[in-house]
Amino acid sequence: MIIFLQATFEGLSLGAVYSLVAIGFVLIFRATDVLSFAQPAMVVVGAGFISYFATQIGIPFWIAFILGIILTGILGFVIERTFLRPMVGEPVFSVAVLTIGIDILLRVVLDNWIGINPKYMGDPFPSFGNFGSLSIGGITIKYLEVTALIISLILIFVLSLFFKRSKYGVAMRATSLDQEAALAQGINVGRVFGLVWFIAGLLAAFAGFFITGGFNTLTNSSFISALRALPAVVIGGLDSITGAVIGSLIIGLTQAYVGYYQFDIESAYNIRLGNGFSIVAPYLIMFVILLIKPHGLFGTEEVERV
Amino acid sequence: MSNRPDLYTSYRKESSIFPNNTQKFWFIVLLISAIFVCFVASDYWLILLTNALLVSIAAWGLNIVSGLAGQINLAHGVFVGIGTYASAVMGGVATRSVIGYELDLLLWLPLSGLIAALVGVLISPIAVRLKGLNLGLVTLAFVFIGSHFFSNMVFVTGGSGLGRKAANLQIFGIDLNSGLEIGNLFLQKNQILYFISLLVAVLLGIGVKNLVRSKTGRAFAAIRDRDIAAEALGINLFRFKSVSLAISCFYGGVAGALLMTTFGGAEPGTFNLLYSITFIAIVIIGGAGTVLGPLFGSFFFVLFPALIQNVVLSSNLSEQELILSPQQIERVIFGLFIILFLIFEPRGLWGIWFRLRNYFKAWPFSY
Repeated sequence: MIIFLQATFEGLSLGAVYSLVAIGFVLIFRATDVLSFAQPAMVVVGAGFISYFATQIGIPFWIAFILGIILTGILGFVIERTFLRPMVGEPVFSVAVLTIGIDILLRVVLDNWIGINPKYMGDPFPSFGNFGSLSIGGITIKYLEVTALIISLILIFVLSLFFKRSKYGVAMRATSLDQEAALAQGINVGRVFGLVWFIAGLLAAFAGFFITGGFNTLTNSSFISALRALPAVVIGGLDSITGAVIGSLIIGLTQAYVGYYQFDIESAYNIRLGNGFSIVAPYLIMFVILLIKPHGLFGTEEVERV
Repeated sequence: MSNRPDLYTSYRKESSIFPNNTQKFWFIVLLISAIFVCFVASDYWLILLTNALLVSIAAWGLNIVSGLAGQINLAHGVFVGIGTYASAVMGGVATRSVIGYELDLLLWLPLSGLIAALVGVLISPIAVRLKGLNLGLVTLAFVFIGSHFFSNMVFVTGGSGLGRKAANLQIFGIDLNSGLEIGNLFLQKNQILYFISLLVAVLLGIGVKNLVRSKTGRAFAAIRDRDIAAEALGINLFRFKSVSLAISCFYGGVAGALLMTTFGGAEPGTFNLLYSITFIAIVIIGGAGTVLGPLFGSFFFVLFPALIQNVVLSSNLSEQELILSPQQIERVIFGLFIILFLIFEPRGLWGIWFRLRNYFKAWPFSY
């Protein structure tokens, strides 16, 4: 039971972090019709910024944290302006591949900076911050995971308020419904595109901090964990924010349960799932769900015309 | 009529493999020079050329499913990997940790292509149900599942970090590893491999050309352009999508088998996401949907890094003075080329070549 609770907690926390990346995907996809494969790279770039300011330059953690997040947002904005604006109206596949090119560029620069030694994020509260944990009834709860869970929930709440209430939120929803109609209503669609990439960048940087914080550290393979938001988006449906959150939770829980129970399952049924099966399990779930519902759990089915 | 080769009087003539004598002429010139190169080039360049030929076979495969039939496939590298290890199992030597049956090249080469195609057919029910970006994402999942299998099926692949040795190079029971003597001509292993690759590349290249102008090829193009309209015209979507995936995987498998033999071995970690993306980049840089495009793309992709390395080595800069290592420079240029080609020349190198050719055809007039 303790193991179960432990796994559930870790899974929920992981899922909440993935959902930040996943929401970024969905935002970009809905507003601009671009599937951004560069999003995982933005996650690690965000973590890289924070780590660089906090540990290498030595700025106080909170300033470094905010600076890193805003810089990642600006990077998203710049990417949209320079690389994606000329591609408006091109086939979806071409644009998706273009974002793969951006992803390669970002990661080369980052890998070069990371080098061989893992990079640490800074720590706001040296006595019990990122590295600490507390124990409730035998369950180890890391402070980082609690913070991740809480901050992700707050961010999701703030975002949903933003979409419902603010002027730009409404403009974004209008743009995602129909770009031309939004343009005709006087919405500056170009600015909305930029804003969407900016927000996606902010979310990516938040996720980056939580994915690489504490003992996880930023390495050349942190990218793989960030990429796991992709199956989450697909499970939930490419164009649904609710779907993105639920898909992320499914992925996070799967990963945690598989991580904790793989050995038991293997010995009970006498099979061998192999090392690192918890990394593949989310993709298997994605396979199964797409077989049953090709548009994901919450995705809208396209009405197609010839 | 006979002295006006550019005037087409029938559809059959226009869609033939070489519609005019100029193309036939250049094809023969290229083929002869390709054979001639084998006796002049040093081992370094010979291996590079072999590699380029093989990569273009794999790229043709991806071009069939993505460029021609319009189905996004981000997992082509996995099928190349399946072909690679299928060849190693059938043609390789068994050791304590891996299995191997030491078959003949004439057996393992087509079989490894067929096994890759079989896997393609097996997963095609999933692929056929989806289209567009969802399909791309599912194939992305396949990359990770494939890597998992590769690194865990130790008896086939030798395990991650170790890998295994390639298949034996023997044809009709003659062992070619130490070279072959024909009369007073002695061919080394590299030269033999180059010839095999050239032969297979020419055969499969003509295969692609034939496919494009066949009924199946036209069906693929119809599916790419508008799948619902294609279905309304009586094209069986399920069948043709599966067929395109199977042919594509066959090309990938054959290329993988020969690539492994050229390099002597393969490590499961090779077939990761970047490896699959490489093929997409080759097809895009070369020109999607064309026959010559992947060929251009592959030679560019293989020879360009070699050029960079030569420049870096001859520039007398030490490792510390360079900001990026040669591999990183390679990847930066790679990423940049994907972006720049997509924005400025979506038809790729083939598009540039096409415009150049037309310019010189009409030279000195502009049109």
